[in-house]
Amino acid sequence: MRNRFIAAAVAVGLVLAACGDGDSASEPTDNPIAFDASVPDTVGDTAPPVTETMPAPDTTAASSAEGVLHVPEDFDTIQAAVDAAAPGALILVGPGTYNEAVNVTTDNLTIRGLDRNEVVLDGEFELDNGVRVLGAKGVAVENMTAMNYTSNGFFWTGTVGYRGSYLTAYRTGDYGVYAFDAVNGQLDHIYAAGSPDAGVYIGNCYPCNTVMTDVVSEHNGLGYSGTNSGGELYIVNSTFRFNRAGVVPNSGSYELCYPERDTTIVGNLVYSNNQGDTPAIDVALLAMGNGIVVAGGIRNTVERNQIWDHDKAGIALVPFLEEDPNDELPTVEEWEMTCEEAKQVRPVDPGEAILWDAYENRVIGNEISDSRQFDIILASLNPDLSALGNCFAGNVFGSAGQTAPTALETLAPCDATGSGDWNAGVYNIAAWLGEEHPPSVDWKTASLPELEPQENMPDAANAPANPATNVPAPIDIAAITTPAKP
Amino acid sequence: MKRRFATAAAAAVALLLGACSDEGHDGGVASGSTLHAHTQATSLGKPDRPIAGPQGTQAQFLVECLYSHAAMDDPIVFPGQPGQSHLHVFFGNTDVDAFTTTADLVGGETTCDQRQDTAAYWAPALMRNGMNLTPIKSTAYYRPGLDVDPTTVQPYPVGLVMVAGDAGAVAEQPVEIVAWTCGAGIERAVTPPTCSEDRALRLLVTFPDCWDGVNLDSPDHHAHVAYSSGGLCPEGYPVPVPQLQFGVEYPVHGDPTGLVLASGGLLTGHADFMNGWDQAKLESEIALCLHRDLVCGITSGRKTG
Repeated sequence: MRNRFIAAAVAVGLVLAACGDGDSASEPTDNPIAFDASVPDTVGDTAPPVTETMPAPDTTAASSAEGVLHVPEDFDTIQAAVDAAAPGALILVGPGTYNEAVNVTTDNLTIRGLDRNEVVLDGEFELDNGVRVLGAKGVAVENMTAMNYTSNGFFWTGTVGYRGSYLTAYRTGDYGVYAFDAVNGQLDHIYAAGSPDAGVYIGNCYPCNTVMTDVVSEHNGLGYSGTNSGGELYIVNSTFRFNRAGVVPNSGSYELCYPERDTTIVGNLVYSNNQGDTPAIDVALLAMGNGIVVAGGIRNTVERNQIWDHDKAGIALVPFLEEDPNDELPTVEEWEMTCEEAKQVRPVDPGEAILWDAYENRVIGNEISDSRQFDIILASLNPDLSALGNCFAGNVFGSAGQTAPTALETLAPCDATGSGDWNAGVYNIAAWLGEEHPPSVDWKTASLPELEPQENMPDAANAPANPATNVPAPIDIAAITTPAKP
Repeated sequence: MKRRFATAAAAAVALLLGACSDEGHDGGVASGSTLHAHTQATSLGKPDRPIAGPQGTQAQFLVECLYSHAAMDDPIVFPGQPGQSHLHVFFGNTDVDAFTTTADLVGGETTCDQRQDTAAYWAPALMRNGMNLTPIKSTAYYRPGLDVDPTTVQPYPVGLVMVAGDAGAVAEQPVEIVAWTCGAGIERAVTPPTCSEDRALRLLVTFPDCWDGVNLDSPDHHAHVAYSSGGLCPEGYPVPVPQLQFGVEYPVHGDPTGLVLASGGLLTGHADFMNGWDQAKLESEIALCLHRDLVCGITSGRKTG
């Protein structure tokens, strides 16, 4: 058991109080430079954020009385409109190219392009993020395109309540759409192409309470990545194709909130993720040629996906060897620790590499075909694969090499007792590490398909403000069927 | 209400108790604004401990920069004297030589992914058999100092320069200021460890996070800045500024035998910084990320090709 410091934190408060008025720690230092020192709005706070110029947000509803701000008619730039907007406002952005990096710190804004394909934020390889939402709650970004940003197309960090809908991210230096330390979210109708990391990423949240649906992610290092995320996290009804690797939930102690767990991946088309000409971080190189890779993830559900054409595996449950970990492996009890709790735990240096294994995942009812190695791989450096507790049932295998180890569904059925020889057809995962892959290419010049017109949101001009105060929309996972190949 | 991470709490209790008295916060911190005499320039104080561990516990923004060039120049220590310095490796602004001033930097070209970071960063070259081991990249982490109230952090003033670590050190430097690591690992060593093939050797230098509020430089290039302790800046250094942690990755794996810094031996790790940021962007990142206690970017130590 690790040390917990909650009691100590309380003690700090007492000590601070004991220092009395003379303790400068409780007061901002005299500033020689005029500077806005706004109060940080930490995740999990129930108090509204405080700023000098904005009224307190009305968290009950965005009423029609709140304003609509037009760009470029009323404001030359999106940023100017965002800065002028009161919580709950709707910002309507007309067609045009906007060379801006928009920062959002006001709650409950709806920032909407009037035409997804003609409202283009262009970073011109100089600006960092197309739209970055910093701790503001309930911000929805809709119906626009961001391209050529050195970091991300659309980025939410430290938020409670967020939504990105009908967004196109194209040619970005890190991620297309990036949600970090953000909960209660929805990402829908996204097209993301041309990132060395993930086209869409949801990480550092547990429970995330987030739905990702109707996404097309292609020509990225990874189609989807989620490091240390999960808990009411649904990746559904989406397409991941022509990436180095398709869907890659993963664990690691280089970021907080490990392990990755409780992600539900259902009803997706995952195909042809062997793409060697994309920009790629090293994880994308390592995961190349696979559809869905659970890298050290725990208690995920992978169900009713249509998966085909992969050089290695349709679905791979594999370990992640973390060479320079920042902490010891979490115990089983800690698998259910929330992110907020994890922030209170002091890391312990294990002094050696740690091995994140894939535990207790359920792989059910997927249709998998044209896998050059195996439709499903379960692998570990741990010799006893049966101890990992993963289960496999009702999958339809279309490849000659069905599973490694052999007959996984007999060895480890779901909700039944398994039998058979775990040593038959064991996959040599260590060989992965030594494989050569086509090197990463520069994200700025990588070959990408021409950007095709993408579906617009319905009635962008007239739909009312729709802040992300009640997201995600409910989703009926049981009703999702395995999609047919296009 | 200040937000304090509980990981820091135990140490903070002891230090805050100390801070209630009139005495110095820490044995290494001078109680006034005058420096103790040193034959070699050293920084005032040191961090209570390194900021380490999983990213996501601490507000930050970061800048990753490719290697720019190497030169025997040092526009802080030997201004206007080209070739007078030991060999340095430069990152960020691409047009830095012995004559560079901070005014020259803004608007220049940069090797950084954050294009508005046109600051100059440099460190001694790491040599083996007389050859400069061309670095892979640098990473600059900007964070509030340990336990410092993030809302009090001010931008570096325009024109600030500073040096961290001791280029003339003959003994081990504190790993809170100068350390060697493997990649992003949390193990800090006073000399280069043996790194696996998956992790590159890294020199990690932590800059002071308190400014005297007056001087953009000082004769020894250290005395105008100091380290916070217990979340508080020492007397004479009233302005909290970001704690810059600057890491340089070298293409070195395995046996460190034969490595030597251009500044001599392996104990002379140091780094230099000239604030050549687009000042408005620097202020914006501090306000948006540090004041709001947010993670605006992370690195996993993962390579991009």
